[in-house]
Amino acid sequence: MVDAARHPNITVMSYTEVKRVEGFIGNFKVLVEEKPRYVNMDRCNGCGACSPVCPIEIPNEFEEGIAPRKAIYIPHAQAVPLRYVIDLDACIHCYKCVDACGKLDAIDFSQQPRQQWLDIGSILVATGFDNFDPSVIKEYGFGRYPNVITAMELERINNSAGPTAGRIMRPSDGKFPNKISFIQCVGSRDERYNLYCSGFCCMYTIKNAVQWKQTHPDADITIFYMDIRTPSKGYEEFYRRTREMGIRFIQGRPSIITEDTKTGNLFIQAEDVGLGRTIELESEMVILSTAAIPRIDTDAMGSVLNISRSPDGFFMEYHPKLRPVDSPTDGVFLCGAAQGPKDIPASVAQGSAAASRAARILNADEWEIEPIVAMVWEDRCISAQGKKCGICATKCPYNAITVETGKAAVVTSAKCHGCGGCVAECPHNAITQKHFTDAQVIAQLHALLKHEPEKKVLAFMCHWCSYGGADNAGTSHFEYPASQRGLRVMCSARMDQDFVYEAFRLGAGMVLVSGCHPQDCHYITGQRVGAERFEKLTKRLVDLGISPQRFRVEWISAAEGAKYAQVIREMDGALRKIDPQALKEEIERTRPELERRVRRLPEIPEVARALELAKV
Amino acid sequence: MEHAEKTVRSFKDEVMAEPGGQHLQRCYSCGTCVSMCLINQTCPDYNPRRILRMVMLDMRQETFENPTIWHCSSCDLCYPHCPQGIRISELMQAIKNIAVREGYESPLPTSQVDEEKCSGCDVCEKACPYGALSLVVKTIDGKERKVPQTNKALCMACGICAAACPLSAITVEDHSNEKIAARIQAGHWLKKTRGGEPKVLVFNCSWNLRAEDDRAAMAELPPNVRVVTVPCSGRVDPTFVLSALQAGVAAVLVAGCEPGQCHYKQGTRIAQGRMHTLHNMFEQVGLDTSRVRFVQIGTEERGRLPAMIMDLVAELKSARVPVA
Repeated sequence: MVDAARHPNITVMSYTEVKRVEGFIGNFKVLVEEKPRYVNMDRCNGCGACSPVCPIEIPNEFEEGIAPRKAIYIPHAQAVPLRYVIDLDACIHCYKCVDACGKLDAIDFSQQPRQQWLDIGSILVATGFDNFDPSVIKEYGFGRYPNVITAMELERINNSAGPTAGRIMRPSDGKFPNKISFIQCVGSRDERYNLYCSGFCCMYTIKNAVQWKQTHPDADITIFYMDIRTPSKGYEEFYRRTREMGIRFIQGRPSIITEDTKTGNLFIQAEDVGLGRTIELESEMVILSTAAIPRIDTDAMGSVLNISRSPDGFFMEYHPKLRPVDSPTDGVFLCGAAQGPKDIPASVAQGSAAASRAARILNADEWEIEPIVAMVWEDRCISAQGKKCGICATKCPYNAITVETGKAAVVTSAKCHGCGGCVAECPHNAITQKHFTDAQVIAQLHALLKHEPEKKVLAFMCHWCSYGGADNAGTSHFEYPASQRGLRVMCSARMDQDFVYEAFRLGAGMVLVSGCHPQDCHYITGQRVGAERFEKLTKRLVDLGISPQRFRVEWISAAEGAKYAQVIREMDGALRKIDPQALKEEIERTRPELERRVRRLPEIPEVARALELAKV
Repeated sequence: MEHAEKTVRSFKDEVMAEPGGQHLQRCYSCGTCVSMCLINQTCPDYNPRRILRMVMLDMRQETFENPTIWHCSSCDLCYPHCPQGIRISELMQAIKNIAVREGYESPLPTSQVDEEKCSGCDVCEKACPYGALSLVVKTIDGKERKVPQTNKALCMACGICAAACPLSAITVEDHSNEKIAARIQAGHWLKKTRGGEPKVLVFNCSWNLRAEDDRAAMAELPPNVRVVTVPCSGRVDPTFVLSALQAGVAAVLVAGCEPGQCHYKQGTRIAQGRMHTLHNMFEQVGLDTSRVRFVQIGTEERGRLPAMIMDLVAELKSARVPVA
């Protein structure tokens, strides 16, 4: 951190919040707000004369609340920049610090928040994680029993610069605890709180146990665990050494801790799975290894940067295997625990990777993007005719479209990822997606339904999930009927209702629209745009007189090959059950109304020609 | 054949198809339920985790022949603590249901009805937390009469019905009225004056003491304190309390579990209601209500009950409550 602060090309803006991000990859405009410190950064030299005279003492966040801090303080001894800050919520305006500061005259109560716009090429998100609050797990008694502490608290007690100057003592009576227990997976791997494994707690617990044992060889140390996870280089060897040192490992998750109110000692009840029996272990202190959880402001940060969160709450990467450092928004990169819990080596690796990914942009004059972006036909856009619309902009997951009444909508190509949601949603067919134009899709549709359309199951598939699911069905040998005809678009958001009408008009027996599960969507909210549309469409089709079983909406992930095959089998089975004569009648009966619905398709550039060619 | 479909229905699938069985395969053997469960105080072989494991490995025969599968009383102490959200008691019930269908029977003691004494009033059926009792029509002494019948697979022998029966027509083995009376009187405890020390009778439920220390402390109380263990505080018939007071006991303490932690679902609430009624009666006839006390001990409350008994003894000594 000190190196970074000294580097001529690095500006550290501490105590500063990102308020807004506009623009796109390589050309971001970022509004930042520097909060008032009430200490002049240029004048303060970090001498620390002010802090001792401050009469206020409040819990020190950095010391996990074990030690006090003053109202004028630095967050911790290694803080960069080494400049004091006044916590105005705690300050009583006695101005003793002003006197102590004396000639430096660094204290300035008139400071106001300062906002400024910055030109930014690429953005790295390294916001870290929070710790799970174990007091919600009542059975472990954290917050109720003084001698149940978190691993973070132990780190502070154990630290030679910490509140006890490194002398380990337990909270209830200040005695050195000789018999201690660690409990793993507190708030993680637990469906009540967080399903995921935090991944690094096993290693830091083993580290803490080793440290303790090295300084106090007589200590009686027990680690309660469900599984010890030491998958990285050299970790398992470390674990083995720890076992050899005489630290007791008990496989079994404690169910309840009770306290002897007289001694303050704790009794841990757990099943020793190896032994197959319940044990009650007395400990003088219990340390909980709590889950790493997403930062409390992840949601706010995500909406400022327009990046989404995975089901676990951490920021979602562009692709879990192939682009683990990139966020869904180009030019924004993720590193460290902001993207998911990880230990130091993994954080360093991801941080370095993110930095080099970001540097590519800074060193480029031009940037290649996917060619499948959306494009507006200005003459068709009703906004250009002075009418209010802007539907496309509301559906865009990337804020890539700007609409100003009187002017045609503008797609910022650099921000567009090509989901096609705007294209399908535009009521005037004024937007198209390159390589997935209406003409191209309709041409495919006609080709797929050329022969015996009433015997076909037409499946619209999204590129990332259900197409992958169909592929998975193939590679895994999950058989499904040959009546299926697949049509791939990038996202379920691109599946225009006109395509479905056109398919039924052509006499398709069954139509399936399929895409990602909501949390898996590759285009942040693309799936939601599609899902909303299909919900309405289902009702409309029924109103039209189309049997409800002929249209189906399914969310199928790339791993769900079996589900894809099952859905197609079911649809084919359902199609076979419909009386062919009745189906024919239904197709004929609904055709005029369907024709009316798609009558404006030929107005779209190229579509008329595609229809012409399809007739041949 | 399709890969995605299974044709053979295994024991595991059968259990999972029962209501409550669906989450079986989530279990990762952490042992939380085992150490939370109090049954292993009386039956050290009982291990719900191992039973789930046996089901997962399709060990049908071994599971049914394991006598411990009948022990779970659905107290649900374990379920809220299970990190995988498995409803263990429902799973145990699912196993029991299949076992019953296959003709297996619970080896545990159950309630027994004395059909001669029974009037068919149906109080027991309403009191039973398990729905184990139901009235059936039987021909007794040539007359058609309605009498309760115990479903052996459901009855957990808590004795709540026995305490509820106004005719003492229903009882549970080991905890019959006679046996409880014998435990109170053993060693002529009621008759001896014990050097003028006030006598305290404690009815304690079998499940409210988690800590080994507490259980040991209960055995080492002074001779003027008598602890009678009952399966559930709901087993305590108010007549036990009244006859003890009549025989010169200074105070009676009934100890049950915290509501929500009762080993027999409703027992502690039923006991609470009964003791409340008793207090009301005492007030009406002008008796000292402090001579009958009721306490509910939480499973995490280490040391509370022994301390409370000693406090009660001290209080009685200082108050010099006249022995009736």
